Amino acid sequence: MTEAATPPPDASFHSSEEAVARLKKRRSAETRLKLYGMIAIGLAALALVALLWNIVARTMNAATEHYIAIEAQIEPDEDDFLKVVKKSARASFPYVSGRTGKRELYGLFSDGAADDMRRAQEAGTLETGEAVPMRFLVSDTADLYMRGEFGALESQESAGGLTITEDGKKFVLRAQDKAFIDAVGRAKAGLAREADSLRQQAARQIAGITVQQARLDSVTGLEREDMLAQIDGFRKTRDRLEGQASALDALITGSGDTRLELTDRMASFFVMVNGGILKLTEVSADTALAVPLVPLDSADPVAGGAWTLRILDRPEVGRPVKDQQVAILETLQREGRIEEVANWKFFSLSDSTQPEIAGIKGALIGSLWTMLVTFSLAFPIGVMAAIYLEEFAPKNRFTDFIEVNINNLAAVPSIVFGLLGLAVFLNFFGVPRSSPLAGGLVLALMTLPTVIIAARAAIRAVPPSIRWAAMGIGASKTQTVFHHVLPLAMPGILTGTIIGMAQALGETAPLLMIGMVAFITAVPEGITDSATVLPVQVFNWANASERAFDMRTAAAIAVLLAFLVVMNAIAIILRKRFERRW
Amino acid sequence: MTETDPIKFRCQGVNVWYGQTHAIKDNDIDIHDKAVTAFIGPSGCGKSTFLRCLNRMNDTIDICRVSGSLLLDGEDIYSREIDPVQLRARVGMVFQKPNPFPKSIYDNVAYGPRIHGLARNKADLDVIVGESLGAAGLWDEVKDRLAAPGTGLSGGQQQRLCIARAIATKPEVLLMDEPCSALDPIATETVEELISGLGERYCVVIVTHSMQQANRISRRTAFFHLGNLVEYDTTDAIFSTPQDERTIGYVSGRFG
Repeated sequence: MTEAATPPPDASFHSSEEAVARLKKRRSAETRLKLYGMIAIGLAALALVALLWNIVARTMNAATEHYIAIEAQIEPDEDDFLKVVKKSARASFPYVSGRTGKRELYGLFSDGAADDMRRAQEAGTLETGEAVPMRFLVSDTADLYMRGEFGALESQESAGGLTITEDGKKFVLRAQDKAFIDAVGRAKAGLAREADSLRQQAARQIAGITVQQARLDSVTGLEREDMLAQIDGFRKTRDRLEGQASALDALITGSGDTRLELTDRMASFFVMVNGGILKLTEVSADTALAVPLVPLDSADPVAGGAWTLRILDRPEVGRPVKDQQVAILETLQREGRIEEVANWKFFSLSDSTQPEIAGIKGALIGSLWTMLVTFSLAFPIGVMAAIYLEEFAPKNRFTDFIEVNINNLAAVPSIVFGLLGLAVFLNFFGVPRSSPLAGGLVLALMTLPTVIIAARAAIRAVPPSIRWAAMGIGASKTQTVFHHVLPLAMPGILTGTIIGMAQALGETAPLLMIGMVAFITAVPEGITDSATVLPVQVFNWANASERAFDMRTAAAIAVLLAFLVVMNAIAIILRKRFERRW
Repeated sequence: MTETDPIKFRCQGVNVWYGQTHAIKDNDIDIHDKAVTAFIGPSGCGKSTFLRCLNRMNDTIDICRVSGSLLLDGEDIYSREIDPVQLRARVGMVFQKPNPFPKSIYDNVAYGPRIHGLARNKADLDVIVGESLGAAGLWDEVKDRLAAPGTGLSGGQQQRLCIARAIATKPEVLLMDEPCSALDPIATETVEELISGLGERYCVVIVTHSMQQANRISRRTAFFHLGNLVEYDTTDAIFSTPQDERTIGYVSGRFG
């Protein structure tokens, strides 16, 4: 240590205990701050990963679709392809009979199957003939079943043999080793659930009785008699429900030898045997009554290991895919006639009420048009306004007023812009409802303040020496701005613009006001066609009741994010080109 | 005072206000052509302000007001008929800090001729750029990398590039506002030599804080103090036989 010119008041001034303590405190404060920062970033990163993981995982479900490969009979000048699908279905599954059975059979196929054939016919690639091998798109419920959305079909192999006796339309199954004991257990669990629900209903009757009895004292005459009758009715219902529950209890506590009747409120039990599928209707530990869903090759007894009991735990009443459909799908699966292929349709089709043929193309093109309108309005107007305000406008009360208003506009809720658009663009100027033009105008209004503020900041950040340099060699104000200031401010302007555009891309609320929420199945061909946009499509699908829309919602979100990434990438590339070293 | 050189600027009764501040107080000065004139004085004395009046750069400052008559070749540069943009092409300026455009060396020099339409074609422009860089003594150093960014040059080179840029518009007057204050001694020497050379062909007005620099490169020196032009004479006279007390104090290093 060299001697300082003016020595500290005390030699140990910066090394005393107090000083060391102060230093330690300062250091720990810094460490804490860094720690908080890392925790914050960690949490944010975690949230982002969780979000992306969720979206990607659900999107993967929509990445493929299932087809059933069967033969079709197609006339050369066929015009009713829905009929062709039904005819082919009947021909391939002749054993499905009855109105319910046929409805369930047709329910496996999507209307998209007919659309595919129609498109093929229009393209001239449709094969015709008596037995054309054809792939039919499955319906949304069948697709969800194939993805295990309604639970997996559990398999129980049995070591004991099985004898099959035909009894009219039914079969009597006798299994060794009490092979059905688990089925009985599950059936009883179903009965117990039912008994519980009956008791809950009974409890509600009791509550009704209590309420009416409390009010009984305050009424007289006819009214009182009515009320008494009502209470009596409640009692009778309660007794009936409790009696039913007790009867179920008796069944549950009974031995495994009594045959339980299986209802659609219990799990479904299938027996795969001799190339067919039987569905159990009554079951005890070793015997069962069953109806055929897919006919057996023969009624021969089989040894252990040659038959399986398969269980779908969710009751038939609680799932859209019925037992007959499950049986057919399982048979097709076993025969390898179900194909899972990439779902390119999602990008080539537009919205539909049927999830399996609903695509994103309409919304994607709609978003593209809308963004085009928004950009071509918001960017030039915003940049020009910023240049005027920053470089040319005199500083006075009027420009101050404008500046304050622009800054405030950036904080106005977007739905207000929607109302404005509805009142001004739609009602006054007569811009077509739900068109990208209307949407783009509204979003441009919303984006303008962001662009103006960002552009002004970027222009202000250009060093004045550049302006002097240009003016010093005789460049006019306009030349100075457009030759020097604007190119240097461009990276900042683009950053602001991309923030505004990203905001506009994800905006739903103002577009609801101008009718872009409408159900539109056509792809818009210009800025005046009716259209919807990606976030509105997400909103619509998320509200849809069909479960298969779930994964399409996730896929639509993924497309929206991809759109955003592409848009940002373009902006970044442009920005890199404008960025120059000082 | 020798009157061998023709007068380029004839300024009479010049006053400048920044809002309420009276920055230049009723000054008269004649600036001669084909010679270097140095403005010296302590900080805040108004020498830069006066310089910026000569090409109306003060117009860009909202609160600045200028009165009096400033005649360039007998023409009042503050009259309505004069377009300040046109004036600045005739009266070029070099700033304290080198401020090349963030463009190539070629484009830096070519910018002025382009906006003023001085070149009919690319070949013309190439000639102008070459001559200007040559006049600024930069040609040999950059002739192989004209497409390189001007901001990539060293400080002294950048300042010479700025001088080349100013020369390229074919000005009659060159104003230099402390052109060497951001440069190291070696770069300063190069630029000083360049300025001396330019003084033989242009009317050069230079503001400087360095009395040695004024002594070395200027033919005439004006001493400003608190907005007043205290003394204006040949450089030799100012430094060897100053008349005013304040000038004596300043050039002998007693204040400033």
